[in-house]
Amino acid sequence: MYRYDEFDAAFVRQRTEQFADQVRRRISGELNEDQFRPLRLMNGLYLQLHAYMLRVAVPYGTLSSKQLRRLAEIARKYDRGYGHFTTRQNIQFNWPRLNDVPKILAELADVEMHAIQTSGNCIRNVTTDQFAGAAADEIIDPRPIAEIIRQWSSLHPEFTFLPRKFKIAITGAPQDRAAVKFHDIGLMAKTGPNGEIGWTVYVGGGLGRTPMVAKQIRDFVDHEHLLAYLEAILRVYNRYGRRDNKYKARIKILVHEAGIDTIRDQVEEEFAAMKDGILKLPQEELDRITAYFAAPAFKEVEQKTIDLPKLKITDPAFARFIERNTHPHFRDGYVSVTVSMKPIGGTPGDATDIQMEAIADLAEKYSFDELRVSHEQNLVLPHVALDDLRAVYEGLVDIDLAEGNTGLITDIISCPGLDYCALATARSIPIAKSISQKFSAPERQEQIGDLKIKISGCINACGHHHVGHIGILGLDRKGVENYQITVGGDASEDAAVGSILGAGIAGDDVPDAIEKLVDLYIEKRESADETFIAAFRRLGEAPFKEALYGTR
Amino acid sequence: MDIITANELLSGATVYLTVDGKWLEEVSKAQTFGPEDKAARDAAVEAANASGRYLSVEIEKAEIIDGRVVPTRLREKIRAEGPTSPRHTPQTLDTPHAKGEDSNVSL
Ligand code: SF4
Repeated sequence: MYRYDEFDAAFVRQRTEQFADQVRRRISGELNEDQFRPLRLMNGLYLQLHAYMLRVAVPYGTLSSKQLRRLAEIARKYDRGYGHFTTRQNIQFNWPRLNDVPKILAELADVEMHAIQTSGNCIRNVTTDQFAGAAADEIIDPRPIAEIIRQWSSLHPEFTFLPRKFKIAITGAPQDRAAVKFHDIGLMAKTGPNGEIGWTVYVGGGLGRTPMVAKQIRDFVDHEHLLAYLEAILRVYNRYGRRDNKYKARIKILVHEAGIDTIRDQVEEEFAAMKDGILKLPQEELDRITAYFAAPAFKEVEQKTIDLPKLKITDPAFARFIERNTHPHFRDGYVSVTVSMKPIGGTPGDATDIQMEAIADLAEKYSFDELRVSHEQNLVLPHVALDDLRAVYEGLVDIDLAEGNTGLITDIISCPGLDYCALATARSIPIAKSISQKFSAPERQEQIGDLKIKISGCINACGHHHVGHIGILGLDRKGVENYQITVGGDASEDAAVGSILGAGIAGDDVPDAIEKLVDLYIEKRESADETFIAAFRRLGEAPFKEALYGTR
Repeated sequence: MDIITANELLSGATVYLTVDGKWLEEVSKAQTFGPEDKAARDAAVEAANASGRYLSVEIEKAEIIDGRVVPTRLREKIRAEGPTSPRHTPQTLDTPHAKGEDSNVSL
């Protein structure tokens, strides 16, 4: 894992001390709220419905056991014993008190963590594939480049006050697990003409009020010139992005209005001017950072395969866990294990202090001290030997997080919604729970197969509803919660925005509505191998609309 | 009728302006303002903002049901009672300052 160098450590300490002083001045009245708000937001501190909310950055979703233990301690000491993992691979604490926040930040700094780049119109925390550095299908580990982007963006003086927030996602695998086409910039590893590895660059993707799939702006940029190319994009955006209208300020609108060809020309012009300047990334520097992400010292494992058919008979729950919650690893005899933070009827992404500590212990014992947070609000133990799978599974059974449901209908993304969020128009969590309960039977989930449900409590779309195979958006219709259903969204490399099926429905009716869509799919699919999203692509939205609303 | 709500500076807790000019967590103790009290209501909002101790000061609609003040909007009900699923109690004011004497906003 990356270790802070002296500069990083000094910078985070300095920011923590600065913020402690700002809090002191706010409380003494030297600063009023208008002066303080931008300062607290720059340190990840929001005010929500019930209390402050502190959003802590987990850069590119990578955590050590020690860091997760510290998050557990913070939850216990300063909060209410739980935290919420978000679709930005971060963690949020819902109940901190203003006086405690400087102490929390100091304790985070001790384990090389902070809450910078989690708010404001800056380049936000970079996100990536949760299986980065472990996945069998990976062309390159994206974390060294993600770390370099973090270092470039954290203190970038030119890009501290962009027209709007700016999100970059990066994947080193052809199978996109980081939703790169729904970010302001998405980077996807690619092998270049001479066999060298570089990046395809997408720009102008996003969700929210105006969902858009990013457009390819450049087919290939090598490592050496990547930062210069990113800087060129940011410069064009900073200059031409709209500052007159918050809802039109994201780069997706600029790309949409000006056209990708115009933006590409402008970016290329900037790029040509700075290509070989100070942002050129020397190979030695890339090598230095890459060394921090070296693969762990894998052991020789005895077990190379698992007899799943037999296990399905002798221990079906463990078999399900293996089938759904393990991902192929590049190293023989190893897998990445997804710890589903979606127990049946639970709050998606929530973890108690005890659960966090237990998972940290498992990571320390069985995954070389490494952990990941996925944008689907799960945790990952990236390097688990098949020999140790049983022990990991049993450890998770002890903390009620052994549900073998990754990628199934109960593995639901949900934002906090109106239970916590000041911007919400409806609740999300109770909807997620009621769907999870309705489809709790493992056999039913297995019958349905891969299906991603994503729920947002307002149009801001933190719950990624636009890209759910089934998406649910909570709205307020004359004071009553109302849920709009979309079908056909996809966050993967086959990126698509879902289609709204019709008028919104009441919250209590949502689980039954989902069942109608699921039943239609099962009835119409060509075989059990045709997934929900594949069937939707073949059938179109009409039959789904009819299943939900009847013929009109 | 209207009530006035805010988040208290130190705790972030949801608070309501009460009849005796204090800011407390219980919506049931909130002072209500009818149409004829508009000037007093607006003055209270202004004073709360000027105090610097209360954030997101808002006027909310409320009704009296069985003799108790109940906010009209679902959002406000959730603010008053805490998250619904799982149920958590609302944040409390727990510091001498927040509970204390200088939390009065003069009407
Ligand atoms: S989608 Fe809306 S309700 Fe949900 S977390 Fe984002 S802003 Fe809040």
